[in-house]
Amino acid sequence: MSEIVLRTEKLSKIYTMGKRDVKALSNLNLQVNKGEYVAIMGPSGSGKTTLLNVLGCLDKPTSGKMILNDVDVANLPEKELYKIRRNKIGFVFQTFNLLPYLNAVENVELPMEGTKRPKGERRERARKLLELVGLSGREEHRPQRLSAGEQQRVAIARALANDPAIILADEPTGNLDTQTKYEIVKLLANLNIDRGTTVVMVTHDSQIASHTERMLLLKDGTIIKEKQGLHLAKKKLVCPYCGSKIQPNDERCPSCRKRL
Amino acid sequence: MRAILVIIALGFVMAIMISIPAGIIANQEAAQAMTTNFNSTMTTMQEQINTTATLIECQTSGQGMFSGGNFSGGPGGFPFGGLQQQQTYVEESVADAIRSIGGVKDVVEFLTVSSSETTSETINGPGGRTFTISRPVYTITGVTLNSSFIDDYSILPTNITAGRNLRPDDSGVVLLNSNLTAYFGVGVGDKVGIYGESFTVVGVYDEAGQGGSQGRFEARSAYMNITDAQTAAGVTGNVSRLDVYAEDVSDVDSIAEVISVAYTSLQVTTYKDRLSQLDNMQTMYTQTLTSAQATVSNTETVATQEIMIAVGATSLIVLFVMLYTVRERTKEIGTLKAIGFSNWNVMSQFMLEGMLLSLVAGVVGIAIGTVGAPLLSGILLPQISPFGSSGNSQFSRGFENAGNFGNFGILGASTVTVTPSLQTMLIAIGAAVLLGALGSLYPAWRASRTRPAEAMRYE
Repeated sequence: MSEIVLRTEKLSKIYTMGKRDVKALSNLNLQVNKGEYVAIMGPSGSGKTTLLNVLGCLDKPTSGKMILNDVDVANLPEKELYKIRRNKIGFVFQTFNLLPYLNAVENVELPMEGTKRPKGERRERARKLLELVGLSGREEHRPQRLSAGEQQRVAIARALANDPAIILADEPTGNLDTQTKYEIVKLLANLNIDRGTTVVMVTHDSQIASHTERMLLLKDGTIIKEKQGLHLAKKKLVCPYCGSKIQPNDERCPSCRKRL
Repeated sequence: MRAILVIIALGFVMAIMISIPAGIIANQEAAQAMTTNFNSTMTTMQEQINTTATLIECQTSGQGMFSGGNFSGGPGGFPFGGLQQQQTYVEESVADAIRSIGGVKDVVEFLTVSSSETTSETINGPGGRTFTISRPVYTITGVTLNSSFIDDYSILPTNITAGRNLRPDDSGVVLLNSNLTAYFGVGVGDKVGIYGESFTVVGVYDEAGQGGSQGRFEARSAYMNITDAQTAAGVTGNVSRLDVYAEDVSDVDSIAEVISVAYTSLQVTTYKDRLSQLDNMQTMYTQTLTSAQATVSNTETVATQEIMIAVGATSLIVLFVMLYTVRERTKEIGTLKAIGFSNWNVMSQFMLEGMLLSLVAGVVGIAIGTVGAPLLSGILLPQISPFGSSGNSQFSRGFENAGNFGNFGILGASTVTVTPSLQTMLIAIGAAVLLGALGSLYPAWRASRTRPAEAMRYE
């Protein structure tokens, strides 16, 4: 029996645009288990971003429950919410959103500011996280001296800073070229496998989504379809790029020759 | 880039804030110096009048301190009319006649003749202003070289810098002012031609007992035996000035009365006239001092207003810059909130930034202020004027040593230097940080209230 990290019950979000009410989310029920890798897909205006904002406690739902680690956060006041965001949630953005005047390691340290962790330990942890995402030796670089892919890696390391219960990624590959796209997806997949990090990713790229365990299709603010992903990550014996069989210690995919 | 511009702009405002107190202090010091200088001069003059109470000066027309002096470039109301006067003389027999008046102790004869050649002289007034005058290159002063006169009435200069002073019955020799040695190109022992006659330079003197050179004319006198002077100037048997000494102060009035009735060509001046002149000067200088003090207190009012404007300007600059910054960095604020920054974290972040901005501006301001304080305070604050509102054209020989040249010598003694003090700088830094905090309060609050979901959409 897997542990439930995130659960929503009849989650609704209504925006008032002039006289008209727009239902961005309507009675949405969702459950994410610990260690899952979930993709949320849907056309523009289907409510993907609203859902992610509500899940990430950036926005409050109009009604319904949102239970994160057994706590209903839907009606928590702001002075409690920021702690939830800091300790339970890791955000990865489409545009990376690194602070331009801080270097990589300082960016990763940022969420640890205001926690009880001592200064030296924060630096140590930030370096370890950068190593984990494959950026050893780039710690002192500022974002403008890093490639797009590297910036997103820093952002992922930052999301992991406070060991969150869940990582919410909003189109994490949206601003990346094809090659880098897969590297990031693979990185998230590896984190999911190796560390059991729960990941919820919003994307409209079905290829990217197919590399997750579970895909949810959103339309008009509710989940209309749910299907199993290729589950590549769990098996690891299938190439994430072309789907052909691989051996556990293959460096490159035998059929498409892509680096694994 | 924008930060640099803002810092420079703020720096200027801070510099103004630093310069103003420095300017006030400088003005106060200048007013103080003026008062001190004035008081000591008045005391000296008073003493001089007291010690020469028995002296009755009898001068022929054209005989004055600056006869023939011609002003150009002076400020309005300057105490000299600058009219050229024809030198006149009286016969030596007049001296003998005066000697026979009851109560007269001594009559000392002088002959002062100015060269027809003139020179332009530039003197420095206060505040960097200069004045150019045209005056005779030299003046010969013939003195009755009688040992008792020399001893009793100090008719000769005392500050001999080379050679020796004139002695009783010296003849064919001259005592030159140090300003004239260069003009004639001579030293002690050399021969010098004056009015076609040849004289041996026996000594060089300097003006004694006078402070700085500011506002003074160079003395350009050559002292010699009166007989030599008469011969040289071609006015044998004539004198231009008689110093009449009474036996007692109580006789002065009656003697002066007799002389002025008998010899209308002589201008008679007693200690009473000198005292009334001193009174006039006192009135004039008091006016100047009063206006200086008024300037100082006016300065403080102006400064208070200007500092308040500067304070307002600083806060407003910080306010708008920070508002712009917050707007520009909305997305960053959204990010910070998304990754777990509390409202307070965000607010303090921006407060800190605003304070840092104005701290740096404060340091820049001190740099600008230290260099530019004299200029800035000159522009921003009323300046003390060393000139009185009115002048007195009558200056008697009795004031020559003490006051020499009126306003300049007495009141313009100190140049105003404006230097910000360390204390001012520290206060300015403190004020900068405080104003930074004040100015960024609202923008920071705005930032902290940003709703992350909306901020993330902002591009």
